[in-house]
Amino acid sequence: MIELSSLIVGVALLLLLMAAATKGWLASRQSEPRLAASEEDATEPCPEEFVNRVFSRCDWEFVRGLRAGCIERLFDQERKKVALVWVRQISGMIRKIMHEHARAARQSKNLEFSTEINIFAQFLMLMGVCGILLAAIQLAGPLWLGGLAYFAQRLSQRVAKSQESFQAGVLANTGEAGSA
Amino acid sequence: MSMDVPERAVTVEEAYDDLSRRSLSRISGDLARLIYLASTRDYNTGKYHHDGLAASFRAEIACKALEMAHRQTFYRIAASSLEELVREVEVYVSSSLQSREDVLRVWQKLEPYRVALPVDVNVALAQLFVSNVRLALAILRGRPKPRAMGASAS
Repeated sequence: MIELSSLIVGVALLLLLMAAATKGWLASRQSEPRLAASEEDATEPCPEEFVNRVFSRCDWEFVRGLRAGCIERLFDQERKKVALVWVRQISGMIRKIMHEHARAARQSKNLEFSTEINIFAQFLMLMGVCGILLAAIQLAGPLWLGGLAYFAQRLSQRVAKSQESFQAGVLANTGEAGSA
Repeated sequence: MSMDVPERAVTVEEAYDDLSRRSLSRISGDLARLIYLASTRDYNTGKYHHDGLAASFRAEIACKALEMAHRQTFYRIAASSLEELVREVEVYVSSSLQSREDVLRVWQKLEPYRVALPVDVNVALAQLFVSNVRLALAILRGRPKPRAMGASAS
C-alpha cells in the first residue's frame, strides 16, 4: 500500500516537473522570437563567465539590496528566460554534435565499441541534465543551479572534443584508404 | 575610393588602434561606445563604415576594425555585472541632451539597444545583454531623483 502511494507521488512529481519544463520552454520561446530563431544554430558554447554571471548570486545580491519587490520579480523573470535559452542552446548543440557523430560513424570502418558507448552515455547524461535544468530553472530559478550548469557546460565541451577527435580520425582513415 | 591610402600593408590591428585612440577614447562609457559602433553599421548590409578610418586605411580594413571593436565592446558589457551596467546606462543617459526621464522611457518602450547587438553573436549572450539592459532601465526609472531624496530627508 505504501509502495503504491509512493509510486503515485513519484509519478505525480515527475508529471509536475515535466509540465513545468514544458511551460518554461514554451514561455521562453514565445517571449523572445527574434533571439529564439537562431539559438539552436549556435555551435559554440558560451564562455564560462556567462554561466558564472547567469547562475551566480552576485547580481541577485545587488538587486536584493535595492529593496524593490517589482525589480526582484523582474530579475527572477529575466534570469529564468536567459538561463532557459542557454540550456536549450546547449541541448541543441549536443543534438547537432550527435547527428554529426552518427554520420561520421557510418563512414568509419573501425568503430570502437567502448568509445561509442562512452560518447552515447555522455550524450544521454547531458540530455538528462538539460532536462533537469529546464525543470529546475522553471521551478526555482537559476540561482541555485550553478554547480549543475557548470557540469553541463564542461560535459558538453568534453562531448564536443570527443566528436572532433573522432571525426579527425575518420577523416584520416578515409584519406589513408583513398591514397592506398 | 581608396586612392589616398598609402600603398603598404595595413593591418586591421593598426586600424583598430587608430579607431581606439582617435574616436573611442573620446566617448565616455562602454555603452556609449557600443551604441556609436553599432551606428557605423549599415542596417541592410551589416557592413561597417567610417569615413575617416576608410580614408586612412582601406574601406574593408576599416570595416573589419569597426566590427572587431564592436564585438569586443559588446563582450565587455555583456560580461559586466548588473551593478556596473546600471552605472553605464546612467552615464549614457546623463550625457544625453534629452531629459533623463524621457530617454529612460523611450529606451524601455522601443528597446533601441537591441540594434547594438553584433551579427552572429551567441544567442544566450545576446539575451543576457538585452535582459540586463532591461533590468538596468527598470532600476534607474525606479530610483528616486536626488532632489526628491534631499527634500524627503529635510
